[in-house]
Amino acid sequence: MKRENLAPWFGFLFGLFLACSLALFFKESPVHVLKIVTTSFLNSKYDFGLTLFYTTCLIFAGLSFAIPMKAGLFHIGSEGQLTISATIAAIIGVSFNANTFTGLAAIFIITILTGMLSALIIALLKFYRKAHEVVVAIMLNFVFAALSTWVTVNHFQNTASQNPETGLILDAYQIFKNDPIKNYFEQSPVSSFFVLAIIFCILLRWLESKTLFFQVIKSYGANPAANKRFGFSELKILTSVMLMAGFFSAFIGLTEVLGNSFQYKIGFSPSYGFLGIAVALLARQNFIGLIGSSFLIALLHKGASDLDLETQFLTRDFSRVLQALIIFSVAASYYVFTYRKRKESN
Amino acid sequence: MSEMNFSDSIFVLLLFSTFRLSLPLVLTAVGGYFSEKSGVAQIGLEAFLLIGAFTASSVTYLSGSLFYGYISAALASLLMAQLFCFLVLKLRANAIVIGTGLNLFVIGLIPLIGKVLFDSTGSTPTIPTFDNTLIYPMVTLVLALGLSYYLSEKTIWGLQVKFAGEKQDALSAIGVNFDTRRWQAVSYGAFVTGLAGAILSTYLSSSYSPLMSAGRGYIALAAIIFAGWDLRRTILISLFFGFFEALQIQAQSNQAVSSLIPGEFIQMIPYLITLLALLFFKSKRQAPKELK
Repeated sequence: MKRENLAPWFGFLFGLFLACSLALFFKESPVHVLKIVTTSFLNSKYDFGLTLFYTTCLIFAGLSFAIPMKAGLFHIGSEGQLTISATIAAIIGVSFNANTFTGLAAIFIITILTGMLSALIIALLKFYRKAHEVVVAIMLNFVFAALSTWVTVNHFQNTASQNPETGLILDAYQIFKNDPIKNYFEQSPVSSFFVLAIIFCILLRWLESKTLFFQVIKSYGANPAANKRFGFSELKILTSVMLMAGFFSAFIGLTEVLGNSFQYKIGFSPSYGFLGIAVALLARQNFIGLIGSSFLIALLHKGASDLDLETQFLTRDFSRVLQALIIFSVAASYYVFTYRKRKESN
Repeated sequence: MSEMNFSDSIFVLLLFSTFRLSLPLVLTAVGGYFSEKSGVAQIGLEAFLLIGAFTASSVTYLSGSLFYGYISAALASLLMAQLFCFLVLKLRANAIVIGTGLNLFVIGLIPLIGKVLFDSTGSTPTIPTFDNTLIYPMVTLVLALGLSYYLSEKTIWGLQVKFAGEKQDALSAIGVNFDTRRWQAVSYGAFVTGLAGAILSTYLSSSYSPLMSAGRGYIALAAIIFAGWDLRRTILISLFFGFFEALQIQAQSNQAVSSLIPGEFIQMIPYLITLLALLFFKSKRQAPKELK
């Protein structure tokens, strides 16, 4: 194994150490905090299932960030895409009355198309109008959030609840309630979407190593000008990576609506779109590594949410501090691990 | 005549409201401009704003002085900028990744400090009403805009910051360390953004409430990029966003308008207009060459 490949894992451990040390400032024992955040997922099958649910969403979010990143695009639009996709999934689930197969097919196809088309806007504005992908994504995140709130609250509000959420999707579409994985984990939010996420990672890894197209995407990321000279279409690359990003963002919406709450709740995402950046960074955009990094971030997220009960001053907000410190140390660890190499080359 | 008075008063209200609501946005955009112009992508403006807002409100409440509130907000933001610069300029981490991390860090850290200080993870206690509440934002605005314009357009330092963003080797050739200029530019920008945070929690509101920046950091960044990394255009575009924020509030308080157009759609207007502008006007201005 290359020395540099150890960098993110070293960074992860260092970030964890830093975060737990920070607990001292809040009059808490770092060892106690470390124990809670790293072992709370083992408390019960339900807790483990909840961690796997977070893992599923983070894998999809990580893929949605990592694929455009390979082409040099910084994609922070996943949050908007998953919001609008989840809304669409819930709307169809609530209002389209058909048999299970037709209804689910409609939900899957339309939700995925929504995610892909919403991401395509970024690629098209980037190619045709030279608009910066970060600006377009930020604008779209706001637009989709407002649109989704309007549709939910004004047209599909759950009348039995005070919370801003749609009604439950029709019973015929709640097939993941009897999902074997969900049953095994005591009706926790995890579902077969977890297996699907892992299959996607393996498939993408295979495609990346075997197909010319993925090599073209990577070479475009490394040197767009050279790619152009070789005659590869910039438009094709940009649209392909963004369509794939939108595809995986849509799966976060599907995981939530079909596999967990069976409705759309405003604010269901604890910033999956942004956490996907940490996940992809930790895995160095390696599709198989994403599974491990998603699980690590998920278990810390789950663990930190238990701090409310287990400590006096630390709350679930500590989860964000933890994730941030891990991002910092992982991002900076490459410097430490490549220091000797850079010194020699200088 | 009465109709005339009515429309006049609406216009004046809108104008005043635009000015009021644009204050934090303009200052944040100006703060972000320095960082971006020096070649450091700045997505962490939200963090500087929030830490500034929280610190200003907490210190003002604890000390009973708005002055200390403003100064401490700027210093807290400056402190965050040092962490950002150390990771980005010293340890060569990716600025966008660190900016995203910094936003997460501040969003998580504030409730923890709030819990220790006020036994609350939500809002800080309400600050008392001061006679000079209006003076501080006005003085801050005039000083920050005047100084920023002077530094950026009229000094050698400003020129060197631009060179750090455009051609760092040219700076090295004359014996100036481009990383030092970047560090200074980011720090100055964070200082100004911290003041914007103070305005948010002590002038536009009377306490800090969670995520009160409401994405202003991102909108400011969009304004900078949309303005083609030009200071004057950045300020104008920030005013444009401020105008739509004011329009939205005015429209929501007007029953006739709010029954016709839902609030969410009015909220969307500035973002939709930006997207349409990006669609119809091809960007001719280039990003600073060294921006990463």
